[in-house]
Formats: sequence, C-alpha cells, structure tokens
Amino acid sequence: MTITRQALPRRTFLRGVGTTIALPLLDAMVPALTATTRTAAAPIRRLGFIYIPNGVIHEQWVPAATGAAFDLPPSLLPLAPVRDQVLVLSGLAHRQADSMGDGNGDHNRGIAVWLSGVHAWNRLRNGGEATLATTADQIAAAELGRHTQLPSLELSLEVPTQMACDSADCFFGNTLSWRTPTTPNHMESHPRVVFTRLFGDGGSPAERREQRRRTGSILDSVVEEARQLERLLGPADVSKLTEYLESVRDLERRIEAAETESAIVSLDLPERPVDVPASLYDYAHLMFDLQVLAWRADITRVFSMLIGLEGTNQPYPDIGVPEGHHGVSHHRYDPVLIAKKAKIDTFHVQLFAEFLGKLRAIPEGDGTLLDSSAVLCGSGLGDGNAHDHINLPTLLGGGAGVFRGGRHLHYPADTPMTNLLLTMLDTAGVPLPERVGDSSGRLSLA
Amino acid sequence: MPVSAWGGRWAAVVGALLVTTSPVRAQSPEGLAQPSTRAFLDRYCVTCHNERLRQSGLMLDRLETADSGGAAETWEKVVRKLRTGAMPPQGRPRPDAATYDAVATAIEQALDRVAAASPDPGRMPALRRLSRTEYANAIRDLLGIAHLPKGMDLALLLPADNSRSGFDNLADLLFVSPTVLDGYLNAAREISRLAVGDPGMPLLVDTYRVPSELPQERQLEGFPAGTRGGTRIQTYLPAVGEYRMAIDVSGASREVHGLEVAVDGDRVGLVEISRAHGESYELRLPLTAGPHVITATFVPPSGALSEEPVLRANNRGGSGATAGLLGQRLPALAAITVRGPYGGAGAAETPARRRLFVCRPASDADEAPCARRILSTFVTRAYRRPATSGDLDLLLPFFEEGRQAGGFDAGIQRALERLLVSPQFLFRIEKPTAHASGAPARVSDLELASRLSFFLWSSLPDDELIDVAARGTLRAPGEIDRQVRRMLADPRAAALATNFAAQWLFLRDVETRRPDGGIFADFEEGLRRALLRETELFIGSVFRENRSVLDLLEADYTFLNERLAKHYGIPHVYGSHFRRVALDPAGPRGGLLGQGSILLLTSYPTRTSPVLRGKYVLDNLLGAPPPPPPPDVPALQETGGDGTPLSMREAMERHRVNPVCASCHAQMDPVGFALENFDGLGRWRTTGESGDLIDARSALPDGREVAGATGVRDWLLAQSGAFVQNFTERLLTYALGRDLDHRDMPVVRGIVRGAARDDYAFGSLVLGVVESLPFQMRRSEAARMARE
Repeated sequence: MTITRQALPRRTFLRGVGTTIALPLLDAMVPALTATTRTAAAPIRRLGFIYIPNGVIHEQWVPAATGAAFDLPPSLLPLAPVRDQVLVLSGLAHRQADSMGDGNGDHNRGIAVWLSGVHAWNRLRNGGEATLATTADQIAAAELGRHTQLPSLELSLEVPTQMACDSADCFFGNTLSWRTPTTPNHMESHPRVVFTRLFGDGGSPAERREQRRRTGSILDSVVEEARQLERLLGPADVSKLTEYLESVRDLERRIEAAETESAIVSLDLPERPVDVPASLYDYAHLMFDLQVLAWRADITRVFSMLIGLEGTNQPYPDIGVPEGHHGVSHHRYDPVLIAKKAKIDTFHVQLFAEFLGKLRAIPEGDGTLLDSSAVLCGSGLGDGNAHDHINLPTLLGGGAGVFRGGRHLHYPADTPMTNLLLTMLDTAGVPLPERVGDSSGRLSLA
Repeated sequence: MPVSAWGGRWAAVVGALLVTTSPVRAQSPEGLAQPSTRAFLDRYCVTCHNERLRQSGLMLDRLETADSGGAAETWEKVVRKLRTGAMPPQGRPRPDAATYDAVATAIEQALDRVAAASPDPGRMPALRRLSRTEYANAIRDLLGIAHLPKGMDLALLLPADNSRSGFDNLADLLFVSPTVLDGYLNAAREISRLAVGDPGMPLLVDTYRVPSELPQERQLEGFPAGTRGGTRIQTYLPAVGEYRMAIDVSGASREVHGLEVAVDGDRVGLVEISRAHGESYELRLPLTAGPHVITATFVPPSGALSEEPVLRANNRGGSGATAGLLGQRLPALAAITVRGPYGGAGAAETPARRRLFVCRPASDADEAPCARRILSTFVTRAYRRPATSGDLDLLLPFFEEGRQAGGFDAGIQRALERLLVSPQFLFRIEKPTAHASGAPARVSDLELASRLSFFLWSSLPDDELIDVAARGTLRAPGEIDRQVRRMLADPRAAALATNFAAQWLFLRDVETRRPDGGIFADFEEGLRRALLRETELFIGSVFRENRSVLDLLEADYTFLNERLAKHYGIPHVYGSHFRRVALDPAGPRGGLLGQGSILLLTSYPTRTSPVLRGKYVLDNLLGAPPPPPPPDVPALQETGGDGTPLSMREAMERHRVNPVCASCHAQMDPVGFALENFDGLGRWRTTGESGDLIDARSALPDGREVAGATGVRDWLLAQSGAFVQNFTERLLTYALGRDLDHRDMPVVRGIVRGAARDDYAFGSLVLGVVESLPFQMRRSEAARMARE
C-alpha cells in the first residue's frame, strides 16, 4: 500500500535545507568548559535518562555471567554494535515504590520513583498535597543547565490519557521529572514543539534576537503584574502564583543564556517536523534525532524521556504484538505472552542502542559525543507481571574511559538504584545532595 | 468520589435491595431516631465492626452518634453501604427494604442537620489556571476564531493537562511549568498576529494529513452525495492573498480521477489525478482572510463510461487501502498543505478584527484614546471583570512600542500578545474575603459569573453576564435562574456534553483504542468517528432538551448515519449525515450501554471484557467501584485442557470459584456477562469468541437475575437513586473543579432531592449545583496584609 503515512522518512529529515543558525563551535567550547566542568573529576558533560515501562522479562534480559565475558541475552542482542559502551546492571531496586499500605499505584509509583527515589504518596492521604521530590535530572539541570539555553528537555512518546487508572493519583505517572517537590515538569510529545523550543521559529540571528528581547520585556511586565496580585492573596494560596513566577524566571534565564552565544558557526538544520510519525519506531527516532541535535548544539545538557507511560497499553503491531503492552506484560507465565513481552523489550533495547549509535557517530574533540555523555535506560518496574520494583532493568551507556563499558555488573539484592543516580551526578560534576531519595552512597561501578 | 481508606477486602455485594434517595416518608421524632439507628447497628453491624474485631478498621460499637457531628466521614461511608445494599453482606442477617430506607434516611438527616449548622464549602485555591480546553474556548470567544490553523493548534502549542477522577479541570492538578508558560508565550504571539492580520507574520505552512486508516471509497459525513473520500479542513487565514495548496495523493492510477476542491461550499478547482501526472498537485487560490472551510473530495467522472466498476465496500483490513471491486487501486487523498498568503494585500475585515477593533482612530491624535477603548473592552472580557487603569498601565507601553515600530494595528497586536499571557487571563482568581470568623462568605458577583460560565460553557462569561455581575444584580431574585436558563440554551452549552460528559464517561479514550485488524476487520477511522459522534449527539440531546438524566440509561432514540446503522444492523438509514432514529424500546439499544463507543471503550483489542464492562458500569454509572485488583492475578485461561477455546464464562470460572476473586468479581462479572451480546465493536452477536452460543443471563450476588442488555438496563433503572447521586457527584466535581469528600455529601443529597420534583431533569440538577453552598461560597481566609 502506498498511501503516504504520517511518518517522516528519516532520510528527508536529515537532508533538507532549513535555516542556518548561529551556534557555539563545539571544539571551541572545550577550553571554556575545561575550566568549569570538564575536569578529571567531571568527565561526563551530558546526562540522559530514558524510561521504558512495564518492566521486562528477566530471563531474557539478565546475562548469566557477570564481568566482561558475558553473552548478550535475547533481549539485549541489539546492543551488540555498542556493547563496549554499555554497562548492564542488575540487582538494583527502588523499594520506595512498594505499596507501603498505599494501595495499588505501582505503575505510577514506578515512574515517580525512578529519578526521585521517593514514594509517591496518594494525595488524599497526604492532606491534598501532591509531593514527590526534585528528580535527579533536575538536580543535574540546576548545575549543568547554568550555561545552556535550556536547562533540560523533557520528552515523551506518549501523551497522558484520561484512562481510569489503578490509583488515586494517576498524574504521578505523567512525568519523570519534578523541578521541586511540588512542581512536576510537563513532558513534551510533539516533535514540532520540541524543534521550536530548541531552535525557535527560525529566521535570522537578528530576528531571533529581537524576538528574545520582546519576550524578555513581556516577562518583566508580567512579573510586575504578578507582584501586584500577590499582595491581594492570602499566603496559603500563593503557590500557583509562585509556580507561575518561577516559570517566568526560568524562561528569563533561558533568554539570558541564549544571549551569550559566543563563536558563530552555522549548523544546517533540517526542516521543522510537521507531525507525529505514525510508527513508534519512526517517532522514537525523530525525537532521538532532535535530542542528538540539542546535545550537539549544546542547547541543553540534560534530558529525560518516556518511551511510554507506565501501564501503557501501546500496541506494537510492527513487531508482531498487536495486543497492547500492558496486557502482555501481565503474562501470568503464559509462554506465548512472555515471548511477546520479550519482543517489546528487545525493541526498546534496539531503540536505545540506535540512539547510542547516533551519539557515537558525532565527533567531539578526539572522541565522540557518546564518550562524554552518560545515558541511563531502564524501568521503575522489575517484573511487570508482579508489579515489583526489584531487579530493575538498567543499562548505562556512554562515558568511555569513565564507566568501563562492556560489562555486566550484578549488585546485592535491594541495592538502591538511587546510588547509581548519585554516581551519575558525581561523574558529571554536579554538586551532590546529601542523598537522592533512599540512596545510601555512590554506586561502585568497578 | 471519596476513596475508601479501608484496607483489606470487604465482601461487598452490589445490586441487592437498592432504594432510591427519595424524600423521607417515615418521620421519626428526633428522640426516637437515635435509638432505632443504634438498635439497627447493634443488631446488624456490630457483630463484625466492633472494637475487638475491627473489621475493615471500623468500630461501630464505639461510634458517636451522627447527630453529634463527629465521625461524619464514617457515617457517610455507613450510609453509602446501606444505600447500595452492600452491607450487611450476603449470608448475614439483613433487614428488609423499608428498614434499610428508614435507617439510611435517619442517618442522612442527622448528617444534613449537622452540615447545615456548620456549613463548609470546601477548600478552593485562590488561583486556578485555565485548562487547555478552557483556554481554547476563551480564544474562540474573545477573538471569534473557532479553528486555528494547524500550525497554531493548541493541542500542539500547549501540553496536555493532568486529570484525576477523569476531569482535567481540577484546580490542584493544573500546574504551571516553564514548558506550559513557554507554550502560552508562543500561543499569544502567534494568535495575536493571526487575529490582527499582521503582515509581518511568517507564512502559514500547514499540512493536514488524512489518516491512512480512513477509507476513502465512500462518501464521508457531510459531503455531497456521489463524492467519495477526501477531507475537510477548517482554518482561519490571516490575510487576503494567494494561497497555494499542495495536494498529495497516493494510488494514482492510469485512469483520471477528479478531485474537487471547494472553499466554503463553492467549487474552486477540479484537479485531475492520474498516474501520468504523478502524486503531487498544486492549486493556487485567491482567498479572503478569516475562517474558511476547505474541502477536497473525489467526484465521479462526468457522464463518460468509466472503466472502473461500481464501487463496493471492501474489506480493508484496517490498513486504509482503497480498492475497487476488481482490486485495482483508487487514488486516495494523503495530505493537503496550505501555504500563504502570497502577495498579500494585508489586513482585511475578519471576525477577529471586528471583535478587536471596536473603534478605528480617525487621526493620529485619536490613536491613544482609541487604543484605550479597545484594550479596555478586551481586558474586561479576558480578565472577566471591568478593566481598571492599572490594567491599561501595564498594556499601553506595549501598544506604544508596537505603534512606533509598525503603526496602530501593530500596537494593538503587541498589547494583545501581552494581555494573553497575563496571569489575570490565564488564571481564574477568587480573592479571599477578610472574615476573621472563618465563616464561609459568598463569592463576589463577578466571581460567580466566572464560575457559571466555566461550568456551563467551559469558557469566559459573555458581555451580558459580566454586565449583570458588575452592576451587582446577579444575585437579584430570579436572576441566577434566568441566567442559567439562558446559558443552557446557548450553543456554548455544548461544552457540557463535549467536556463534562465526555470526561465523565472517558469517551476521549475511544480515540486511542486500536481493535485488532485481523479480528475486527471492519474497524476503521470512519467508524470510530461515527461511534463518537453518536454518543456526542445523544448526550447533547438529553442535556439540551432538558430530559431526565435517566434517559441516558434508557432512551427510545439515538443518532445514526448509514455507516453506523449498518454496523448495528439497523435498516433503512441512508446517507452520511447523522439524524435522530427511533429505536425499539424493548430492544437492547437505547441508552449509553447500547452505544458502540462505550462498548469499544470497555473491550480489549482482541476481545470483549466482561470485567471491564462490569467495572465501568459500577464505577462510572453507579459510583460504586469495586476495589482494585491485586497485582499478580493468575492467568485467564483461554483454552481448555484439550486445547479447545473456552467460552468467556468458562474462562472466567476461576473468578467465581475462588472466594478471594469472587468477593469483587461477583459484582463486576455478571453485569459484563449480560452485555456479552455486544462484541468488541458494539455489534450485536449471538456467538462468542469461542464459537459457543452466548448465554447472556447472569445471576447477581443477591440471586436476582439480569438477562441480556435489556436486563442490565432495567437493573440500572431500578437503582436510579444511585445513578442520579453518582451523576450529581460528578457534575458537582466538574462544576467546582475539586474532588468531593464526605462533607459535600449533604450538598449532593440536597441537589438530588431538589431535582426529584422534575424527575431529575438535567436543567434542575444544573440549577441545584449552581445554587448549592460550595458553588455560591468559599471559605474565608485572611488576606495578606497590603504592604508598604
């Protein structure tokens, strides 16, 4: 059938005249960054966090052997081309996502806990407040985002739906990233919007500068107006206005950061994407391509991405699983369903491996973009059938010379995954908080 | 819906001995009411729910009386269990219906008295961000732009809102993040430029793709007879000029096919599609500014003998392939891209400009005063209150800057851009009152006007409503009643069907259902749209015609077009447009549960699910959701020991046999089984997936039988009290923008009682909500001291 589908063919995406845009020279950044971030103690410059939902089939994911000489199990076969740049970690846990008498929200807690290490309490028990914690990506963004136009980027391949869910607070499952304990970040799903956020409307540098100036003056005026409003409101109710003002300041900072572009180099940009591609594979690749561009142009150094919402029933017809992810994840030991779930797991690993491949294809200094980046891929659920949060599937890609890739490391039961988050933050030179959620110290990757 | 805080399982039973919340018949003097309630508890409840056993954490032997006001939350739970007949459980001594009613009523009366003595409207934050839907409607009403160009689609520019209890307008979940604020800034810039017709704005480049799953060999709804396929685009063009339409087709054949392009119903071009020419075509059209409907559809070749045989509806396997009878390809429309304006003549009269420019400056000196008038009018509408000089002081600098750069219109555009990101536009603001006593206070007339319009229209109050409120006459006798009736009759009240009801019933999730193409070969996008349209029109009719909400359960009509009628097997419905069709009252269709949208919603991609359907009915229609399942539910065997497929009932036998499963499934499964004659797409069938004849009789736990879809309907109507109560709770949640808790239950009961007189007509329930305490009032909070 030749009816044009919505998918934007990748070839035409990467081709394309598009606008030229003034950007820092990548190599010229290195001396500047050496002074602030790239030291022996902070060899990682960029952090990425990619979430896959509904756990995995352990028997096909966890290698039998540990160390460097392990065979890739079926679900990890797509890692073969980048094997030497990936650490397979097993045995990590997020016990804070356990029920603790809080009812059945394992899926939502799984997403909420992954970068926070904090239990997402049912709001009604908590007196109406929705509280979590600042997530690891935002801890990183506070530091790494100081010198980039966007502190961080939050992407999702699935828009929150209104499905009835299995707990009182489904919105916990709508995002991976929380700026503060009470303010979740929205995740962006439309590639066109992502493009605009990264590269603006296009136009000449002068036009974009003028656009920024205008936006800045609007924001100043809005702050003034908000202050006048604050005086009228009671202290208890200022929270939304505070969220608004903080968002204003965040945007003001981005404008400032964009103003301090230094060396001018043109980067050929592809055409702005129009639509969400119909196939999940093309969609994921489009979003990955944007992310790679964002890293390459140093527009941001931190991103988090949801391949799917927890509990999603996304069907995967292109790989022979039309049924819906959540359904097959509850395989109840039926071998047919187990095989289907494993296919989905493999597909996700393939997406991850191809993303790492894209990063590896971009030279930086005397290495590649992948060498100075750390990308985590995993789930807050271990066994999707049992809804548990132990033996979490976890892959750490990148960081050549830092994380000696190509090994399988197994940890004692209940080792907090938050320890890994601490290690990642540490290698990126982010000042470490006392703890992240339930962390007990940095994870040794020796 | 208060979430049960009780841990553990309760052997709940639904559906037995339901009584309606009718006004009290037996009036007991207060002195006797207590002893009889206490006696009731002692006899039927305390055996399990006592201090020693603490079944489900409940100690009814120690409970203070309902009259005292304490333990109201527990008493509300007790009442709910009594009203639904869930307690005492089957197998224990249970009272008769009259006693159930009398005791429940007595408790409710005590609770209502306590609530009346110390009214509490509940906690509402002072600021609530507009939901995305509300923002879109506000733009529509402010500027007269109902359909933004694709590139400015708000679903693109603004992130989706969170929802809980199904509603996305709950104040607590409408967060602000840099992403959403960035979205507002972009939207403000683009929309203001579009509205003013800024000649400097970037060219529109909007691509409208036709989903490949939409079959194009038959006439689409609303298109002329004889046409097939195509698409309809609704947009708003910024300026007069030439617009270039790039048309992409697929499957062009040797034969020439005509694609008619029309703008606002008038043909503007006939494109001849053939393989010789290829798959891309371009039309250049001079178009005016403002709203336009652009359609493209294939027309039959004129007169000449066609080599194409008569079109038949073919099995497409869900892939959207369009094939003629002999399997040869028919061209299908893939996408249309609209670019323009070229050679624009600039600003012209459009609905948005008419709304905006309430005056035009006669001279240069007139520009500033005219701008003040324009902005005052706009601020009043956008901020939902009369404009002040302070508002203008913030906006006029932007007007000035724009005027100096590009003239009067540019000035207005800049000021509008600034206005659209003002927190006074983006947030609904209710100023706290300074009652030190903490007694609830009435919201101001203007705040009430906003509450009304966002409830009934999901949008801004109109000029008349603001005017009445600003003059302080909104609460004059009879005025609210008058306004509500006026607003319900206004077309904007369609939001109650498309926003409230669609969320209450989770209809938006129908968009994401993907029935398996192998099993449900008939399914395609056209059917999905038709299913949703039927339900949207049906609910709209019940609301607009002020029918009893019980008609949602049982109606003798629905809305169909030919496609949908064929799907349901209803004869003699021709044509692609929807129209009201009478249904046999004794038949299974009629009411929400006979509609494919809901039946599709409650099925899996490959099969029906009695459990999903049962849960949906219990949760969304009766307000009595079963507890959530445990995580490691054992397998649903789909084949028997010898490999033959099991019928749905056999497969779910474990639900019945295992007592741990049965405690909840005994409630859900029977309802779902009775609906088994509806397949996963809502078609009527007599055999199930296993090939066995469907037996749609089910026994409810109390022994009562429901037989088929009509049985479920009768059973639901027998519990009209629970349905109306649940409907009212959802309506009140939506109207207030917050979850309800036990303190709101007396209010809900009051609204239901009030509407009983009119047989629960929709309008009466709406009025009841509007006149209720939490809608009219808010808690008092001390204002922050005005500083320096």
